[in-house]
Amino acid sequence: MAWLVVRLAISVSLLYAASAVFEDQVGKFDWRQQFIGKVRFALFDTHSQASKKLLVATDKNVFASLNSRTGDLFWRHVDKTGPEGHIDALLMYGQDAVVVVGNGRLLRSWETTVGGLKWETVLDTGSFQAAALVGVQDLVKYVAVLKKSAISLHDLSSGSQIWVENLPDSDSVQYQTIYSGGNGVVFVLGVVPNSHIVIVEYKIEDGEIMNKKSVEAVWMSSLESSCAVVSSGILLCVDQITQSLYTLPLQSAEQTEMRQIHLQMLDLEVVSGFRPVLTSTQPNPAQPPLSEFFLQLSPDHHILLQFIDGLIAPLRDFNPSYLAAFATSGERTVAAVMSPKNDTACSINLFSADTGRRHLDTTIIYHMDPNGGKPNRLYVHAFLKKDDSVGYRVMVQTEDLTLTFLQQPGRVVWMREEALADVVTMEMVDLPFTGTQAELEGEFGKKAAIQDGLLPMVLKRLSSQFILLQAWLAHLWKLFYDARKPHSSVKNDVTIDILSRDEFNLQKMMLMVTASGKLFGIDSKSGTILWKQYLENIQPNSVFKLIVQRTTAHFPHPPQCTLLIKNKDTGLGSLYVFNPIFGKKSQISVPALPRPVIQTLLLPVIDQDYAKVLLLIDDQYKVTAFPSTKNVLQQLQDTASSIFFYLVDSSQGKLSGFRLRKDLSTELIWEVVIPTEVQEIVAVKGKRANEHVHSQGRVMGDRSVLYKYLNPNLLAVITESTDTHQERSFVGIFLIDGVTGRIVHEAVQRKARGPVHFVHSENWVVYVYWNSKFRRNEFSVLELFEGAELYNSTVFSSLDRPYAPQVLQQSYIFPAPINTLEATLTEKGITSRHLLVGLPSGNILSLPKMFLDPRRPELVSEQSREENLIPYAPEMPIREEWFINYNQTVSRVRGIYTAPSGLESTCLVVAYGLDIYQTRVFPSKQFDVLKDDYDYILISSVLFGLFFATMISKRLAEVKLLNRAWR
Amino acid sequence: MCRVRRVCVAALLLLAAAASCALDLKLHDDEEEDEDAMFQTPGGDVRVRVSGRALVPGVRAQDWVASARVLLDGDKHVGFLRDDGSFTVSDVPSGSYVLEISSPTYRFQPVRVDITTTGKMRARVVNYIKTSEVIRLPYPLQMRCIGLHSYFIPRETWGWSDFLMNPMVLMMVLPLLIILLLPKVFNPSDPEMRREMEQSMNMLNSNQELPDVSELMTKFFSSPKSHAKAGGGARGHRGGAQSARGGASRRKIKD
Repeated sequence: MAWLVVRLAISVSLLYAASAVFEDQVGKFDWRQQFIGKVRFALFDTHSQASKKLLVATDKNVFASLNSRTGDLFWRHVDKTGPEGHIDALLMYGQDAVVVVGNGRLLRSWETTVGGLKWETVLDTGSFQAAALVGVQDLVKYVAVLKKSAISLHDLSSGSQIWVENLPDSDSVQYQTIYSGGNGVVFVLGVVPNSHIVIVEYKIEDGEIMNKKSVEAVWMSSLESSCAVVSSGILLCVDQITQSLYTLPLQSAEQTEMRQIHLQMLDLEVVSGFRPVLTSTQPNPAQPPLSEFFLQLSPDHHILLQFIDGLIAPLRDFNPSYLAAFATSGERTVAAVMSPKNDTACSINLFSADTGRRHLDTTIIYHMDPNGGKPNRLYVHAFLKKDDSVGYRVMVQTEDLTLTFLQQPGRVVWMREEALADVVTMEMVDLPFTGTQAELEGEFGKKAAIQDGLLPMVLKRLSSQFILLQAWLAHLWKLFYDARKPHSSVKNDVTIDILSRDEFNLQKMMLMVTASGKLFGIDSKSGTILWKQYLENIQPNSVFKLIVQRTTAHFPHPPQCTLLIKNKDTGLGSLYVFNPIFGKKSQISVPALPRPVIQTLLLPVIDQDYAKVLLLIDDQYKVTAFPSTKNVLQQLQDTASSIFFYLVDSSQGKLSGFRLRKDLSTELIWEVVIPTEVQEIVAVKGKRANEHVHSQGRVMGDRSVLYKYLNPNLLAVITESTDTHQERSFVGIFLIDGVTGRIVHEAVQRKARGPVHFVHSENWVVYVYWNSKFRRNEFSVLELFEGAELYNSTVFSSLDRPYAPQVLQQSYIFPAPINTLEATLTEKGITSRHLLVGLPSGNILSLPKMFLDPRRPELVSEQSREENLIPYAPEMPIREEWFINYNQTVSRVRGIYTAPSGLESTCLVVAYGLDIYQTRVFPSKQFDVLKDDYDYILISSVLFGLFFATMISKRLAEVKLLNRAWR
Repeated sequence: MCRVRRVCVAALLLLAAAASCALDLKLHDDEEEDEDAMFQTPGGDVRVRVSGRALVPGVRAQDWVASARVLLDGDKHVGFLRDDGSFTVSDVPSGSYVLEISSPTYRFQPVRVDITTTGKMRARVVNYIKTSEVIRLPYPLQMRCIGLHSYFIPRETWGWSDFLMNPMVLMMVLPLLIILLLPKVFNPSDPEMRREMEQSMNMLNSNQELPDVSELMTKFFSSPKSHAKAGGGARGHRGGAQSARGGASRRKIKD
C-alpha cells in the first residue's frame, strides 16, 4: 500500500516535471550531423553501373555505406572503441564486404545494400598481417587471412574455416603479405630483414605446402609498400639505397635470387630520404594483376611503368604529381593522377593504364581550401559512359580530414568534414548585432552622449530611428522580392554577413575544436559550417583549451577567443588568438611560452579594450598575463592579493593553492596531499563561471528558509582507489575550498569504482560511479546548506566562514550505463535544473534535478508535500519522453555542452561524440513565450465573436427600449 | 469441393511436420554451437560468445537490423545483428553483463547474462534492486520487441466537446439557460402560479438555518487559504454562478 502511494506521488510529480519533445517539434530547432572519422579504406561498389554505394572503414572503428551522389549515410555500424574494434582490412566482392576487426580477431561479412551482418567468425589469436580474397577459376570463393604465425582460409559465403596452417619458422620470418592470382595457390611472402625473402606456396583445397623457397635480399627490411606483385605473379620491389628495382617470378622454382634493374637505366632517381612506394592493381582477385604499376619517387613525383617480358618500360612520367590511383570499370583500367595546377588548385586527369595515354576532356579541377590541408588520399570511381568511354568521379581526402567528392569538370558534389567526428572542446559565442542594432546601442553606450546636450541627442535619436526604418523597409523589400521568385530558387544559405543576433539570442556561434587541429565555426540554428581553419603542425596528442576573452558585447571591439594548444608530452604550449565570428586569426601579439604551462586562469579583470585577462602559470610558478598591457599590469598589482589559484599534481596526489604577488610571482598558501598509495586524483572541477544562482535558499514546509552554501571557490575532487579489487575498491570525493585549502566535506563510497562522471554546480555535486558489489550504476548527490541563517549575507568570503556547512547526501540506482553527464544552464538560474545524461545507446536523458534531492523523504509528511518533495525511491526512473533527442541518437557521446540563451526558460544543448546534435531544452517548460501550439485562431475568433455579440445585443436592446417607449 | 479441403488439411499437416523438423534441427544446431562458443586465450581467461535472436513481430529484419546494435554493459562489448535478427557477441570475458539491444525505433527488455569462469552461461531478468534474485530466461537469448519507443508526448488538443463538458463551463451555462428559459415556462403574472410560489418561498424561509447566498459568498472570498490559491478562482466563479441564480429567483418573487 505504501508503495502504491509512493508510485502515485511519483507519477503526479512526473506530470509536473515532464519536459518532453512534442512530435511536431521534430527538426524545428534541433539538428544532428553524423560523421564517420578519418577514412582508412574506401571502396566504390562497381558491381552495377547505377550503384551509389561507397563503403568506408575509418579509424574511429566505423564501417559505413555512403551515398556517393549526396554524401549521406545509407547505414553505419559503430563498433567498440579501442584496438578491439579496430578495422584492419576491408575487402569487397559483389554485394558482400568482408571486414577484419580487432587485430585479426574477428572476420565479418556484411550485406552491403541493407547493412545487415551475414556472418561472423572468431579467428585464432595472433597479430594481423594481411587479408586477401582468393579466387578459383574466375570465381572468388574464399578469403585468406594472414596472421603473424598462421594463415587461414575461409569460405566467403558462410565464413566457415576451410583450413588453418601454421607458418614455417614464424619466429624468425616476418610474414607480411599474401597474394593469389587465381591459379589454385596462395603465396605467403615473408621477410627476414636484411637477409632474405621467404615465399611459401599453399594449395587452396587443403592448405598443403606446395613449395617453399627463400631468396636472398640483403637490402630488404620490409615488404610493405616497397613491394608489389605485378603481371602474372612477378614480385617487384624497390629499394632507395641501391636505387634499384628487383623482380622475382613467384612461381618459378629454379630462380633463387632477385633480378636487379638499376633505376638509372630508366633515367629515374629516388629522392634521398624518401621511401619509394609501388602501387599495382588487381581488378579481379581471381586473375593476376595488371602489368602496369605506379612508382612514387618523391612526395610529388609519380611514374607509370609497365612490366613486359622481364623488362620494365616507363609509360608516362608525372612530374609533378601529388597523388595517383588506379580504377577499373568493366574490362578497362584507368589511372587518375592529381597534379598541381597553381597555388590554389590541382587538376586531376585520367590516363589509360595500358598505354599511359591521356583521356581527352577528363580534367577535374580541385580547388584547395586556403584554410585547409593538403590532399593526401585519392579514391577514384570509374564507370563506362553510354558511348563506351570511361567517365570517373573522385573522392579526395585531405590532411584536415575533409572528404570532397568531385565530378567533371570540377563540380563539388558533396563535402564532409570528418574532423568533426572528434570534437575535443567547444564554446558558444553570441552573434554580433547587425549594423543598425549596433548603431542604436552606440547611442546609449557612449559617454559623449551626456556631454552633447539635449538637441544633439534628439537629433541622434531621430537619425538612428531613421536608420532603423530604412533597415525595416529594406527587409520588407527583400521579403517581397523573395516571395516573387519560385520557391526552389530561394537560397537558404547562411552566410556570416547576414548572421545577426536574434530576438531571444537563441542562435549562437558554435566554436568547435577538433583533435586534428581544425577549428570550426558553426551556426547553431542550422548546423551550417560558417568558417573553418586548419592549424598546421598540431601534434596528435595535443590538448586544447578554448577561452572566450571578449564577447560580442563590446562593439566596436571584435570578439576574441584564445586557444591554448599544449603538447601532452612536453607540456609546452602555444596560443592561437582568433575572432570567433569570422574565424580570422587576430593580429594581436601573443606571448611566447618557453616553459610548460600547467594552469590557466581567466580573470574577471578587463583591459581597456574589454578583453578579459588570461593568466598562464608555468612549471616554475611564474605567471604570464595575456594581454599584458600597462593597464592590465596595474590592475593586476592592485588586485593581486585577492587572486588565488590551485594546481593539481595527480602523480604525487598533491593539491596546492597559490596566491598572486604584486610582481606576478606566486606564493604557496596551502597544500593538501592525498596519498597516492591508497588513492589517486582522477578529476577536479570547480563551478562554471557563467552560472547564476537565483535563490539563496530553499523555503521549507514550515516557512523557514534553508540557506544554500554558495561558495564560488569550492572544488570537487574525485579520487579512485589504487586497489581495484572488487571488495576493497572505493571512490572518494573531497570538497575543498580553493582559497584556503579547507576540506569542507569528504565522502567515501565503498565497493565502488570509476569511471566517475560528475557535475558541480550551485550548492550541489552529483556524481555517478559503478557499484561493484551490486554491479550497477549509482547516482549520489551532495547538497550543502548554511542552515537557517546566513553568516554574511552580503558577500561570500572563503576567509571568513567560521561554520562548516550542513551536508546532505542521498544515493540512487541508475538503471543504465552512462557516458557523460552535464547540467542545464539558464540565463538567470530561475528555471529548475535538469541533468543531461548521455547514454551509450546514443540517447540523451534529461533528468530533473528534483529526483536528485537529498531531502527526498522516506515517509511522506505534510511538510514534504508542501515542499513538493518526491518520496524517496531507490531506483531512478528513465522515461522515454525524457530523451531529448528522440530517435536522433548520438553515437559515442563524449561531451555535452550547455549554454544559456536570452530566454530564461531555454537552455541550448550540444552533444558531441561521433555525431553532433544541437537542440534546446526547456526544463520548466516554456513559461516565458507563447507555446508553439498556441491557438491564435481560437482566441481571435472568440474575441471577434464577443465583439459582434455585443454589437448585436446593443442593437437589440436599443430596439427593445424604443418599443417600450412607444408602448 | 470436399476433396480439395482434404488436400489442404494434408498440406497443412505436412507443413507443420516440416516446421517441427526445422525446429528440431535448429535446436541441434544451437547445441553444437554451444560447444564451440568458448575459447581459451593464451592468458588462460575464458572468452565466450553470447548469442541469441531478436525479433520484431510483423517487421522484416532487414528494415531494422542496420540501425540496431547489441550492447553489453554500455558499449564495453558490441555485437551486430544478422539479416534474420540473430546475433552473437564474440570475445566476452567472464563476468555479469546487462545485454540490451539498442535500436532507435524498437524497444527491447534488457537481459542479464552471467558467465562463469569456466564459460558457463545463463540469462536472467535484470533487477537492479535485488541484484541476486534469479529469474531465469532461456539461453540462447530470445529478445522480443516490446513495442515502439514513445519519445513524444501528445499535444493537448482542443475540442468543442471538451470545452462544453468542462464543469466550469457547465456551471456557467446551465444557470444562464435557466434564467433565460424559466420566465418563458412560468408566467409570473399568472396569479395562481404566484400564489404557489409564494407558498413554496415561505416554506423555504421558514428554514432559518439555511445560510444566505450573500453570506456564502463573503465566506468564500474572505478565506483565501494560501495553499488553495489556485482553487480560489474556481470557487469564486462557482459563487458567482450561484449568486446569479439566487438573484434571478429573488427578482421573480418581487414581481
